[in-house]
Amino acid sequence: MSLLQEEREIILSNEHVDAFDFAEVAEFVKNASKDLFISHHFRKKNKMLVQPRGGFPTYKQQFALYEFFVDANVDVLPLTIDSNTRLNDYGTAKKMLRLSEENDMDMLNGYPLVTHGYRTTRKMITHFNKPVSLRHGTPDARLLIETAIASGIFEIEGGPITYLLPYSKNFPLDKAFLYWKYVERVCANYSKLNEPINRESFGPLTATLVPPSITIVIQLLEMLLSLEEGVTSFSVSFSQQGSMMQDIVTGTVIKKLAKYYAEKIDCGDATINLVYHQWMGAFPTNKDFAEQLINLSTVIASMVGADKIITKTREEATGIPTKEANAKTVADTQYTLRILHGLPNVVDEEEEEILTLEVHAIMEAVFNDSADTLWRKVFNSIKNGVIDVPFSPHIINHNEMITVRDARKNIRIIEKGNVPIPERCFRYERSQCDLSKDTTSIVNDIIHDIGIMQ
Amino acid sequence: MKVVTGVVGNDIHVVANRLMELSLHARGYEVFNLGVNTYLEEFFDAVVETGADILLISSLNGEAEGWSREIKPLKAKYKNLDDLVMMIGGNLVVGSGNAKDIVPRYKNYGFDLVCHQVDLNTGLNSLEAFIKERNK
Repeated sequence: MSLLQEEREIILSNEHVDAFDFAEVAEFVKNASKDLFISHHFRKKNKMLVQPRGGFPTYKQQFALYEFFVDANVDVLPLTIDSNTRLNDYGTAKKMLRLSEENDMDMLNGYPLVTHGYRTTRKMITHFNKPVSLRHGTPDARLLIETAIASGIFEIEGGPITYLLPYSKNFPLDKAFLYWKYVERVCANYSKLNEPINRESFGPLTATLVPPSITIVIQLLEMLLSLEEGVTSFSVSFSQQGSMMQDIVTGTVIKKLAKYYAEKIDCGDATINLVYHQWMGAFPTNKDFAEQLINLSTVIASMVGADKIITKTREEATGIPTKEANAKTVADTQYTLRILHGLPNVVDEEEEEILTLEVHAIMEAVFNDSADTLWRKVFNSIKNGVIDVPFSPHIINHNEMITVRDARKNIRIIEKGNVPIPERCFRYERSQCDLSKDTTSIVNDIIHDIGIMQ
Repeated sequence: MKVVTGVVGNDIHVVANRLMELSLHARGYEVFNLGVNTYLEEFFDAVVETGADILLISSLNGEAEGWSREIKPLKAKYKNLDDLVMMIGGNLVVGSGNAKDIVPRYKNYGFDLVCHQVDLNTGLNSLEAFIKERNK
């Protein structure tokens, strides 16, 4: 028996799992309907796929949410997992699910997939026969993704960097890399049985003034860590940044460089998709304004040429959205996509060149680290600040980089810390900003820059 | 002067914490930022370890109230913290409340300065004024 299989048997034999049947699950994946695989839709469809967000505690509520989404002409269904399950606290998830079922009150902020189990959840997924995307935020997702794939969920979001640096203060990063290696291998193995399982990275990160160079580097590294384990379908992603020009340039550069770096490790055959998140920062409380923002995001996603868009709702500023509001965004977004025609081709060569040089320089510094494997090189690069994510709460992150918006609302790096931004690019970034201000005014600007959509 | 700061409890809201660090630094303080998700013992341990003059606790999700009740008994276990300036700021209650009720309550928990939904620079100005007054 392989080491991986030994580890799988340990992960899947505990009190929270009801007799995992490896052979039956493999047989299910092998014979599963192609419609359940988002990788199949990416290949076949010539429109941007629309995916909302959403997860409720009980089976009944989740089923009702999916009915609303299907009525609104959804392309991809979400399954968002509750925070206890994300932190591997299955005992609490179980208790809270019981309380939710008995009291008709939501005691969980998502669907506790491990607690419901794959036999139950699979009934729902196969009933709707739409691709489902797993949304979580889990550093150790081994049991969760085993349960997801066994349920018929064939897209797995996340990664060791993007699910850790924005969400955790002190979960050990090196452990996250090893736990995600397991995820990649399991996805790669199942991908041989039918259409590929798609892996998706979480590009928004902290969604707070993250410059495109840092976003792209992390997207590329998680892509490489996934492809080197045998995954053949991968989505890089980023969220609306606040400047249409910067989004378009980011889209162009990330597509070009994803192909370049995939070919560099002999994985040029892999399918790389681009996912765009509607604005992930603070939303306006005015619900009509929120809808305008959502519509603007959809237009930009089209300009960027995204393969999939992930939506927000008009209730974003007020809490967890109702299923009605959630379905409304899906229908509205589909409508906008249907009437958007004749988009101009916008190119900004200077910005593209600057961004490309920055990404190559950081990637080169990561590859030049003396460690023997890619994940160790990436680990060291985060530890020594070669990769620095603004506003990450994690203790390993350096927090030396400072970014502000320029007059056109592009995110610019004014302090680079240890990140090896080439001198020419750094001069260019700084030249776009007013640097004569004192720190107090810069802090006020940052507060304003974070909240530009409010 | 030395300041220990951080976000109390199981609160992961990091943005204001980083901006406070920048602002305090710009005002000439030596800053020891414990970041988000910090427990009371960690704050006091850091004050002892660094010899800080000021402890500035912040909170956004409102759970500060629960933690603040434990400040007096906990602080009493440490020696030589009588001169420590204690400040708290952010969103200090779950749901809505008004500063008139909240400020005296928190002063009673042992804080010298209480800033409920006060903007960053106004809060830090009041800290400077307080220290100036005390050193007269």
